[in-house]
Amino acid sequence: MGTQIKDVVIKSDAPNTLFLDKHADYIAAYGSKKDDYEYTLSEYLRMSGIYWGLTVMDLMGQLHRMNREEIVDFIKSCQHDCGGISASIGHDPHLLYTLSAVQILTLYDNVKAIDVDKVVDYVRGLQQEDGSFAGDKWGEIDTRFSFCAVATLALLGRLDAVDVEKAVEFVLSCMNFDGGFGCRPGSESHAGQIYCCTGFLSITGQLHQVNADLLGWWLCERQLPSGGLNGRPEKLPDVCYSWWVLAALKIIGRIHWIDKAKLRNFILACQDEETGGFADRPGDMVDPFHTLFGVAGLSLMGDEQIKPVNPVFCMPEDVLQRIGLQPDLLI
Amino acid sequence: MHGRVKVKSTAQQEEEKRKGREKKLKVYLTVRDAIFSKRSNGELDEEALQFTQQLLCSNPDFATLWNYRREILLHLETVKEEDEIQKLYEAELFFIETCLKMNPKSYGSWHHRGWVSSRLPRPDWTRELSLCDRCLSLDDRNFHCWDYRRLVVKASGVPVDQELQFTDRLIGSNFSNYSSWHYRSTLLPLLHPEPGSEPASPCRKQNNTHTSPTASPQTHSHRVCEEQLLKEYELVQNAFFTDPNDQSAWFYYRWLLGRAEREELISCVYVSREGERVAVAFSKPVNALTEGLMLVLDGQQQQRVEWRSAHPRFRHSPVWLCELPPGSVSDINNEHNLTVHWMEKHTHRDCALYTGRPESWCRDSATDQELFRSELSVEKTSVLQSELQSCTQLLELEPQNKWCLLTIVLLMRALDPLGHEKETLAHFQTLKEVDPMRSSYYSDLCSKFMIENTILKMEYAEVRVFSLSDKNLSTLCHLDQLLLVTHINLSSNQLVRFPPQFSMLQCLEVLEADDNAIGNLEGLYHLPKLEEVSLKNNQISKLSDLEPLASCPRLTRLDLRGNPVTKTANIEAELAQLLPSVTDLLL
Ligand SMILES: [Zn+2]
Repeated sequence: MGTQIKDVVIKSDAPNTLFLDKHADYIAAYGSKKDDYEYTLSEYLRMSGIYWGLTVMDLMGQLHRMNREEIVDFIKSCQHDCGGISASIGHDPHLLYTLSAVQILTLYDNVKAIDVDKVVDYVRGLQQEDGSFAGDKWGEIDTRFSFCAVATLALLGRLDAVDVEKAVEFVLSCMNFDGGFGCRPGSESHAGQIYCCTGFLSITGQLHQVNADLLGWWLCERQLPSGGLNGRPEKLPDVCYSWWVLAALKIIGRIHWIDKAKLRNFILACQDEETGGFADRPGDMVDPFHTLFGVAGLSLMGDEQIKPVNPVFCMPEDVLQRIGLQPDLLI
Repeated sequence: MHGRVKVKSTAQQEEEKRKGREKKLKVYLTVRDAIFSKRSNGELDEEALQFTQQLLCSNPDFATLWNYRREILLHLETVKEEDEIQKLYEAELFFIETCLKMNPKSYGSWHHRGWVSSRLPRPDWTRELSLCDRCLSLDDRNFHCWDYRRLVVKASGVPVDQELQFTDRLIGSNFSNYSSWHYRSTLLPLLHPEPGSEPASPCRKQNNTHTSPTASPQTHSHRVCEEQLLKEYELVQNAFFTDPNDQSAWFYYRWLLGRAEREELISCVYVSREGERVAVAFSKPVNALTEGLMLVLDGQQQQRVEWRSAHPRFRHSPVWLCELPPGSVSDINNEHNLTVHWMEKHTHRDCALYTGRPESWCRDSATDQELFRSELSVEKTSVLQSELQSCTQLLELEPQNKWCLLTIVLLMRALDPLGHEKETLAHFQTLKEVDPMRSSYYSDLCSKFMIENTILKMEYAEVRVFSLSDKNLSTLCHLDQLLLVTHINLSSNQLVRFPPQFSMLQCLEVLEADDNAIGNLEGLYHLPKLEEVSLKNNQISKLSDLEPLASCPRLTRLDLRGNPVTKTANIEAELAQLLPSVTDLLL
C-alpha cells in the first residue's frame, strides 16, 4: 500500500564540492557556440539566456569575462518601436524579454542604453482592466507577466506608471486553497508561479496578504528525500524548482523550514564535473538556466564563495543596493 | 532543458551526430530566414502558414511564429467566406493538436488554441472538452490542459456540478491527483457556499448550479457550507485510508479544517493617561496611513495626530500608535471618551478613560473572538470527533505516518486546544523524529500552538502575565495579541531573537528570557514602560546588539550574565554611555 515517492537517487560518486571555475568557463564558452543547432533553436529566449549567463557570472565575480559592448548593442537592436524588447533580432517584443533586458542593463549600470520611457509605456499598455498583465499584444494573461511588469518598472524606478492596486487585486485572486498561486484565477499552485507572485507582492509591499504559514508548509513539503525540491506535489526534484521554492521561502521568511544541508548536496550533485554547469537533475545535460539557479540557490543558503543574491530579482544584492532597491521580505 | 540524460558516446558517434546537427541547422536556418523575409515583406499567405508549421512542429515555443500565423489568419478572415474561415480555423486546431501531441506543455500552443477557439465562427466546445478529457487521461497533472479546460468550461457555460462530477470521476479512479483536489477546492465554494454569517443552515440549493465556474478568489469567501463539508470529510477519509502516504488528500483535508478569514475590525483600543498615548490593534495588518483612521477625543476630531506602526520596518501592521496632544488627558481628575473610527471599513471602537485611572482599554479578547479554534456546530463537533478516532486508528496501523500525525494535531486543535495540549506536544515530538527534514517547521508550528494556548489560559485567568517557559519555543508569533501584557516570561526556550513585532507589547514592564540563544534584540524597540530585562545565558555578543534597548526610556534593570558581550573591554563604561537609565546592571 502507498504511493512510491517520485525522487532521484544521488550516487555516491556524485560531485560534492563546488566547481566555480568550471562553471565560469562553461558560461564564458557558451555564447561562442553561435552556429550550433541547439543554440539556434533556443533563439526565441536568447535575451533571457544572456540574463542567466551574465547573472551567474556576476554572482561568481566573473562578469568582466563577458562581452559587454556586444551585449548592450544587441539589446539596443532588440527594442521595438512600441518600446518592448524581443528575445532576439527578428522576434517580437514580450514582457519576459523586456524584463531580462532591463535586468542585464541594470547589471551593467547602463539602462540609458535603451529608451526607458518607451519601455515604461510598453509595460503600462499591457495592463488589463482587471489589473492583470498580458505578456504581449496577443493577450496571454499570466501572473508571471504581472511579476515581469512590476519587476521591470521597479528596476527602472517607475512603479507608479501602472495601477498597482488593481495589479495586486488580480494576483491575490490567483491565490489557492493551499496558500499558493497559479497562472490565472483558478489555476493550480506551482512553485514557479509562487515565486513570481510572492516576488510581485514583495515589490508592491503587500506581503502581509500571504498566508505565510500555510504557503510555507506547502513549499517545505516540496523537499524530497534526495534533498532536492520539486515544483508541485508528486513531481521529480529539479535545480530550478529548488531555486523558486527556496526564493519564495526566503521572501516569506521561512527559509529555515527546509533542510539546507540536504538541498546543498542535491544541487552540488547536479554539476557536470567535466564540462562545468548544472543540470536539472544529477546525470542530465547542463544548461545556463540551471547553472544560474543552482549557483543562486547555493548563494541564498549562504555559500560564501558566491556573492549574495536577492531572492526577488535573482540578481546580486550589491547591484540592487547600487540602485537603492530593497524589496520587502517577511520577518 | 529538462530531463535530457547525458549519454557517453565515442568520438565517431560524436562526429556523426555533429554532421547530423549541421544538416538540420542548415534546413532550419533556411526556413527561418524565408519566414522572416516573407514577414518583413508583409506577405500574409498560405505558404507562410506552411513554413511556420514546419518549424513549430518541433519548436512550439518559438512564440513569434505563432504571432505571424495569427496575423495571417486575421488577414485571411477579411478575404474569405465564413465557411472557408471555419475550415481554415479547424485546420489550425488540427495542426495545434499535432503540436500538443509532440509537446503537451508548450505555453505557446495552448494559448494559440484558446485564441483560435475564440475566432472560430462556429466553435465546437464539446470537441474541445473531449480533447481536454483525452489529454488529461494521458497526464492528469498537465496544468496547461487544466487551464484550457477552465477556459472551455467558462466559454461554453458547462455547469459547475458537472465539473464537480468530473473531479469525482478522476479522484475515484486515482486518489493521488493533486490537480483534481485543487479543482474541487475552487468548485465547491461556488456550488455550496457558506451562508454569510448566519448560523449553520442547510446548503442553499439555489439556481447557481447552472452558473459556470468562474475564477473564485480563494482569499475571500472561499468557505464551504457545513453539510457539504461533512460529505467532503468522508471522501477525503476514503482517500487517505486507501493510500495514507498520498499528500494530495491531506493537503485538501487541512483546507477543509481551516476557518473563514477573520472579519476586519478594530480589536482593541488602549489609552495611557500618563504617556498621553493611544494604541490601536486590528484583526489583520493594515496601513493606517492610507486606511482613513480617525481619532475622536471627547467629541473633538483630532486632526493632527500622527499614526505610526509599532516598528518602522512595518508598512502594514496590526498595531498602530499615536501621541495625544500634550495635556489633553493628563489630568487624573478628568474622564475622557475616545473613539477610533476606521473609515474605510465603516467600523469604530470606543474607549472610556475614567477619573483616577492611569490607563484604559476596550477590546475583544482572544476567547471572545474564538481566535484559535473553529466555531463548531454540535453536528460538526461530533463529526470531527469521529474523524479524530478514525485518524487515531490509522495511526495505529501506520505509526510513522507524518500526514496522519499532523492531521490528528489539527483535529485536536479544532476540537479542544487546551484539553489536548499534552498529546499535541507528544505528537510534535514524533513528527520531528519521523520527518527530520522539516523539524524546524514542526518546531515553529508547535511554538505557535503553545503561544495560542498560553494566550487562552491567560485570558481565562484574566491576567496580564504571559508565562511560557521551558516549552521548546523556537519562534514568537501572535504578538499583537499581547498588547496589554505587563509581564512576560520566555525563559528556557530556543529563541534566537526578539523580532520587530515584539515592539507591539506596548504595556510590557518586565521581560524575562533567560537561557535561550537570543542574539538579536531588534524588537525591544520603543517599549515605553519596560523597566526590567533579564537575558541571562543568551548569545548577545556585540555591544551594538544592545542598541535597540536605548530606545526604551524606563529601563533600569538589565541582567546580561552569561552572554559573550560581558567579555567586551570596558563593557561597564560602554553600557553606561549606551543605556544611561540603567542603574541596576548585572554582568
Ligand atoms: Zn528545471
